[in-house]
Amino acid sequence: MMLKGRLITVGRAIAFVLLALILCGIVFQLAGYSAKEMFQSIADGAFLNPGAWKNSLRWALPLFITACGVAISFRCGFFNVGAQGQFYLGAIGATFVVDFMAGWPAFVVIPLAFLAGILGGAIWALWPALLRVRSGTDEVITTLMGNFIAGLVLIYVCSGILKDPSGTGQVMASRPVSPAFRISTNSGLSPTIIGIVIVVGVAMWLLVNRTAFGVLSSLAGRNPIMVVWQGAKLSRLGIAGFVLGGALAGLAGTIEVLGPNGRLVSGFLPAHGFTAILIALVASLSITGTAIVSLFFGGLAAASLYLPVLAGLPSAAIDIINAAIALFITARTVPGLARLAARRRASGST
Amino acid sequence: MAPSGAPALECRDVSVSYGPVAALSGVSLRLAPGLIHAVCGQNGAGKTTFARVASGLVRPNRGALFISGQEVATGNVARARAAGVELVHQSFALPPSFTVAEAMEFGAEKGTPIYSRRGLEARWKQHLENLGVRVRLRDRIRDLAVEQQQGVEIARALVAEASVLILDEPTAVLSPTGVEMLFDRLRNLKAGGVTILLILHKIREVLGVADTVTVLRGGKLVEGPLPAGDTTPQRLAHAIVGSAAEQALSGADEAALTGAEGRDLGASVEPVASVPATPAGPVALEIAGASTRADPEGPALADIDLAVGRSEIVGVAGVEGNGQRTLVRMLANLADLQSGRIALAGTDVTRGALAARRGAGLRIIPFERNTEGLSLASSLWENWSARQLLFGPLLKLISPAAWRRDCDLSLKQWDVRYATTTQPAGSLSGGNAQKLILAREVDADASLIIAAQPTRGLDVGATAFVWKSLRAARERGCGVLLISSDLDELFDISDRLIVMLSGRIVAEFRPPYSLSAVGAAMTGAR
Repeated sequence: MMLKGRLITVGRAIAFVLLALILCGIVFQLAGYSAKEMFQSIADGAFLNPGAWKNSLRWALPLFITACGVAISFRCGFFNVGAQGQFYLGAIGATFVVDFMAGWPAFVVIPLAFLAGILGGAIWALWPALLRVRSGTDEVITTLMGNFIAGLVLIYVCSGILKDPSGTGQVMASRPVSPAFRISTNSGLSPTIIGIVIVVGVAMWLLVNRTAFGVLSSLAGRNPIMVVWQGAKLSRLGIAGFVLGGALAGLAGTIEVLGPNGRLVSGFLPAHGFTAILIALVASLSITGTAIVSLFFGGLAAASLYLPVLAGLPSAAIDIINAAIALFITARTVPGLARLAARRRASGST
Repeated sequence: MAPSGAPALECRDVSVSYGPVAALSGVSLRLAPGLIHAVCGQNGAGKTTFARVASGLVRPNRGALFISGQEVATGNVARARAAGVELVHQSFALPPSFTVAEAMEFGAEKGTPIYSRRGLEARWKQHLENLGVRVRLRDRIRDLAVEQQQGVEIARALVAEASVLILDEPTAVLSPTGVEMLFDRLRNLKAGGVTILLILHKIREVLGVADTVTVLRGGKLVEGPLPAGDTTPQRLAHAIVGSAAEQALSGADEAALTGAEGRDLGASVEPVASVPATPAGPVALEIAGASTRADPEGPALADIDLAVGRSEIVGVAGVEGNGQRTLVRMLANLADLQSGRIALAGTDVTRGALAARRGAGLRIIPFERNTEGLSLASSLWENWSARQLLFGPLLKLISPAAWRRDCDLSLKQWDVRYATTTQPAGSLSGGNAQKLILAREVDADASLIIAAQPTRGLDVGATAFVWKSLRAARERGCGVLLISSDLDELFDISDRLIVMLSGRIVAEFRPPYSLSAVGAAMTGAR
């Protein structure tokens, strides 16, 4: 029964993604491109070309971490759409540590960089959470606006205090991270990163499926009033979910800086947080599902680099595909969103 | 109106099944025009399904529907309405943010695309007055009392020239005076030639208003329609419950369910001497001088003094909206306590959070089963384990399989009917959902159980079960605070009765209770 229910959920998600892909195929065909070539090159770029899966994995791993955070805060019923800003603040925090502690030994700097990244993301989730709990400010608005502020902060530090003086001036970026502090090459795959992802994945799976927090947060997400009548502090559950989500996004930002990116670039990966939201929604907020869906979207991200070369399509085609998937998945989750809205109205008093 | 020969509503051999469950099987029924007909039965007996078939909401798998002698295509609301059948739903379907005038306009056939509020009010004023519905047309639906909402709902159903009006459980949300008002209204409609079909639980109400009675059990027609004068409460109770379950009813419970006469004299009340002597030790609940601030959800409480002893069931009577909900919220620490003191089993919890109060033995069966009591989209076991999980450390690893097993055992003990503990709570019927809440809230560590409308909308069998459970909790030494708008229920199981009016406790009674004295206190007549 439970398994069957899950299979139906997964099947439905796949069906919606396929529908979105077909719709995109028709649009591109009408626009004069070859849909067949497009899908072929997406498949090649994502999975079929030699080494393509490595490239897909490079994108999938940070996305998975951020998406786990999104899933957990959504499960608590808190609609945190600020993953992008939390991701940026995490990246900024980590870069500050590696930049200012350049002379220190790696075993001190790297953990501190991770700590700073996680804290950066967590703080960028904490203030919307407090505003929400203290004064009922809509967290969708605050987290969304927080993304813009974070984007501007990123430009500010990249063009100011962290600016690479030897830069060409074409891109604003920090000094490259010293090789001693890097946790992977530009390939983005290393035992450290894979280890972190596995630890985060297992911990989050346990948290959601094997703790009282998991059960209660899911009850609270579906009916906060009932949980209040059971004596739960809804605000604490919400802040916990929020901050954990922000911390994970910050962790993903840290991984990008110390790993494949190798430095902080202003405006980098502008869709990371939003893709992560999409992943969490496609996966129906399940951690296992998030892992699988991350691979798919990681593949799409990898393929976007191939599209201009192979199908003569702009790489923005992937953004269009993502948007189409978002549209279909949102349509599917409308009842869920309506519940969230009802919760927001109903739990104003707590 | 149809000629006297043709029944106002006729069903021939109607069967409805939802998946493997047969909701109605082979029901044939002819209802004569110009009368008030009642259809009664337990939860799941098929009453609501019958109402839905008759109003075109549900297409039966088999069978035909005739209105005023004309066959009407089944499963088509528009056709049924055109033939003059209107349904008033169990839970009101009026948009809460609309004004009365807008709600009337909404759904009216000849609506205009552009309107002014003033125009609407002028248009509907007369209609509502004719039906004796006294509301202000510019009030919002959500600000109306339930009786008024129901009045508007009925008025809306009668906008078209309805010849048959079907009301599904219309009394479930009404206070005793509201029920009387409703019945007067229905009698007036009958005098105007409207045929009325009532779906009802309570035998006393059925016999008080209906001209004919029909009983459904397990989707089958077991009795009727027979003239209400030809039957007795006992006979109806037996027809509704069936022979097996009937033996489970004690004499006093049966009297309460059937609303038997003579209760004012206290003659038929079970002797209260069966209550054990109060054990030594602190009382279960002590409220001293408690006042709250008024909030949008209800009137403020003023200077409440109340004690509930161990092994005592204290009933709270009162017309709805006189502070009963605030009292429960205050005890749950969800209302703003201004002054006073609250102690649970001797522990002062005046400043204690709900978690601490639950830790001291407080258990709550809340007013709103589907919002405050359960998370309908969540599974049975998650709903069941919430109370205990909240009590433990949040991050400790748990075994969901073990919780599901415990839940399974507990729900079996409480006689909940379900397929698996992973099914959503929303898939349970009302009675089973209430039993799930009881299974969670009534445990050995409970010292005070607040039961707010615990039997609202439940059938005879489930109601008797809830009463049995509350009495068993009392025998274990637990205090029970029972809030109900059903005086029969309160008289039957309360050891003591208080009456609330405008946020105050205005009277206290001990058995034998006098209906007239309690009623007078409820309405402030004394």
